[in-house]
Formats: sequence, C-alpha cells, structure tokens
Amino acid sequence: MNTPADEGNDNLRYAEYVLGVLDADARAAVAQEVQTTDEAAAAVALWQRRLMPLSEQIASVTPAPYVWARIRDDLRLDAPTAAAPRRESKGLWNNLALWHWLGIGATAVAVALLAVVVTLPRENMPATAETSSPKAPAGYMVSTIQQDSGVTGWTATMDLDRARMIVVPAAPSALPSGKAPELWLIPAGGKPISVAMIKRDAPTTIALEPSLLAKLGPTAALAVSVEPVGGSPTGQPTGAVIARGAISGSPETHDHVVRVAAINAAAARKSV
Amino acid sequence: MSVTSPAEREELNRLLIQTGRNDQKAFAELYKRTSSKLFGVCLRMLRDRSAAEEVLQETYTTVWRRAAGFDAAKASAITWLITLSRNKAIDRLRQHREELVDDPSRLEQAVDDQPTPAVDAETSQEYGRLQKCLDALEPQQRDSVREAFFTGATYNELATRSKVPLGTMKSWIRRSLMQLRVCLEK
Repeated sequence: MNTPADEGNDNLRYAEYVLGVLDADARAAVAQEVQTTDEAAAAVALWQRRLMPLSEQIASVTPAPYVWARIRDDLRLDAPTAAAPRRESKGLWNNLALWHWLGIGATAVAVALLAVVVTLPRENMPATAETSSPKAPAGYMVSTIQQDSGVTGWTATMDLDRARMIVVPAAPSALPSGKAPELWLIPAGGKPISVAMIKRDAPTTIALEPSLLAKLGPTAALAVSVEPVGGSPTGQPTGAVIARGAISGSPETHDHVVRVAAINAAAARKSV
Repeated sequence: MSVTSPAEREELNRLLIQTGRNDQKAFAELYKRTSSKLFGVCLRMLRDRSAAEEVLQETYTTVWRRAAGFDAAKASAITWLITLSRNKAIDRLRQHREELVDDPSRLEQAVDDQPTPAVDAETSQEYGRLQKCLDALEPQQRDSVREAFFTGATYNELATRSKVPLGTMKSWIRRSLMQLRVCLEK
C-alpha cells in the first residue's frame, strides 16, 4: 500500500491521469500500466477516491429516452418489464418458438400457417354481421415481407378476431446505429399508415386499431422503412423502404369480407 | 435524486453487482438512478448533446459488459461509473483534438460555467473534505484544477486558455495535486 512518502513523481502521473490533463499518448501509457500492474491500479484507484467527489458539483441532466432504447438495442436486451406486453393465457398464439420457426421457414409460412389455422377448432360463421358475436371464428391474414435482396425480412400474421398482428423476424439485414425498422400498412392507392416500430431480433406483437384492421386485405400491402429509433417524425416514411409484402387472406375469403364488414360496422357505431 | 447518501451508494453497489450477474432489471434500475448524473458529466466535458449521448450509450454498454469485474471493496459503484464515463469522454476529446482548437468564446463559456458549490445537504462527507482542501489552494491554481477536472482539457489547452506558459500550468497543477494529497490524508 502506498504511503505519502512513497508517492513520488510516478504517483503524480497517476493523479494527472485521473484529473484528465495528460495528452493521448501519455494517457494511453498510464491506462496500459493500470491494466498490467497492481501498483498502478491501486494508485489510480486512490486518486479516483480523492478527486471523484468533485463530480458532485456537476448538475445532473436527464438524457433523452432514446439513449436507453439504443443501449438496449446495442446489447440486445429484452424490453423492460414495465413495457413488456401482458402475458396472456398460453396458447398457440403465444408460442414464440412456433412463430420463430414460421419466420425462418418464411417461404412456406403461408402454407404452414393456413394449415395451422384450418386445424384450429372453428365455430360456424353467423349468417350476417349483425348477429356476429365476439366469439366468432377467427380470420387470419399473412404477409411475407421481403427485402430487396429477395431474402425474407419478417413474416406478419394478422389475427382479425383478436385484433392483433405478430411480426416475426426471419433474416432482416442490419441497420445503421440509431436506426430502427418501422412497419407501414399501405392501402391500395392510399398513403402509408404507421403500424408500429418492429424488432429485428424478436417477435413484435401489435394491437390493431379497428380503423387499421378494416384496411387489411388482399389489396393492401405491408412495408418496412428505416427510421429513427423513436419512429418517423413526420408520420410518413422518411427513410428507405427496405422490405415489402402483399397481404393474403385466410382460407375462407367470404369469412373475411363478413369479418371486415362487422369491424367496419362496429367502428362506425363507435364513432357515432 | 441524490447519489451521495450512504444508503443510496449501497443500493447502487448492489445494483451494479447484480448487473454483473446479467440481471437486466438491476441494469435498468442502475441506468434510471445514475444516467442523469453521468450525462451531466459527459455534457460538461463534450459540450455537445449528441456527442454526450453517444458517449453515454458507450458507457452503459461497457457497464453491462464489464460489471462482473466491479469490486465494491476497491471503489464505490458511483465512482466506478463516473470514472468510466469520464475516461470515455476524455478519450473522445483527445480523438477530436484538432476540432477543439481553443477559441476565446470557449474559454469564456468554461469560466462562466464554473459550478457553484452544491447545497451542503446534498453532498457527501468526502466532498466536504475535498472542498476544504481545494479552498486552501491559491485561487488561480484551484481554478485550474477544477477546470481540468470538469472539462478534461490537456495541460496545453489549459495553458492556452489561461494565457500562461505550459511550464507554469504544469507546476500549478502538480503543486496543487501534491497539496491536495497531503491535505486529504491529514
């Protein structure tokens, strides 16, 4: 352990290092010493204890929320528990391994998914939208969102009955730091509508507003653009569109038409 | 939010140790409690918001990767964290040295920004002792030490800003450091 008597010029270098006055080369030399010798490490630690209380004078400044988002993205951490979607009853929908598998086998996804859907127990469809109950059989739609390279970026599955969409990454290409993928719904002949920011490394589950749900269909498409981490600041895509996908319907097309009509009717009732 | 009370320090130590065990919740909590302090430190040195954001991001990704090496017996978590952020900020200043050619406006800004001593209730005992020892220095030398600490400037930059020869600045700072060491060990 150093005593004041031991602390000569060498020790002053450690103090200068901690204070921060050394130029790049001298700094690097001390940093190297700290890594390799215990004496240097101890001397530097001692000076840190002495001088660091000065930082109590520095005013705290809250960083923008996107800094934490970038850190999480960099480290590929899970979303914080507070923001994590509520876990619902375990079922096929919540089986992420299945979705991930579907995402990887994206070319086969439509076939595989439809096979899954038709094997689910289904009730008889009511004859009219008026009498449709909330427990009406579900309609599904799917979209394989392909990148310009031809490689599938994501697979989107839309559950009309539960008004949600799950977007599973297949092989999305890397984005520059500070950028994130945003999913858009493009109605035929219409402007893109923002759906949500999606993840590149984990499935994203999105609740669909009735107005958005009503626009889903074989004439609409999904697209992914490169945006700032917090999303497009303008409400329209601002970066390059890196992937696109057509939406295909579930086995019973009629089923869809009725479902969408029911959703439209419900939305219309709500807005009155 | 104070990071100076002994209870808060203990809690930060615990959170950093947990972070070293890959506990994401502890890491998120550690960020919540310390990021504004560290951002203040980076902003003060770099004087540029986006540069400070980048260094803050780099600091915490390093925290996550190196937290397992944290030893509470050697340093408190807050000292460890501030040291890490200062080192990264200083490294960045040195990399961009040519862009930081001193101009008088920078100097004035630095002088205007001299922090006022924080309210007693919010500072630690260690701070109180250090402040007392700083007060015992010659005013010009004390100002140089503080400016060095807060801005991360090199001897050369400090000498230019204070319009004194390099040798003078070196001897001011070195003498101050020796005096501080003796004073703090009393």
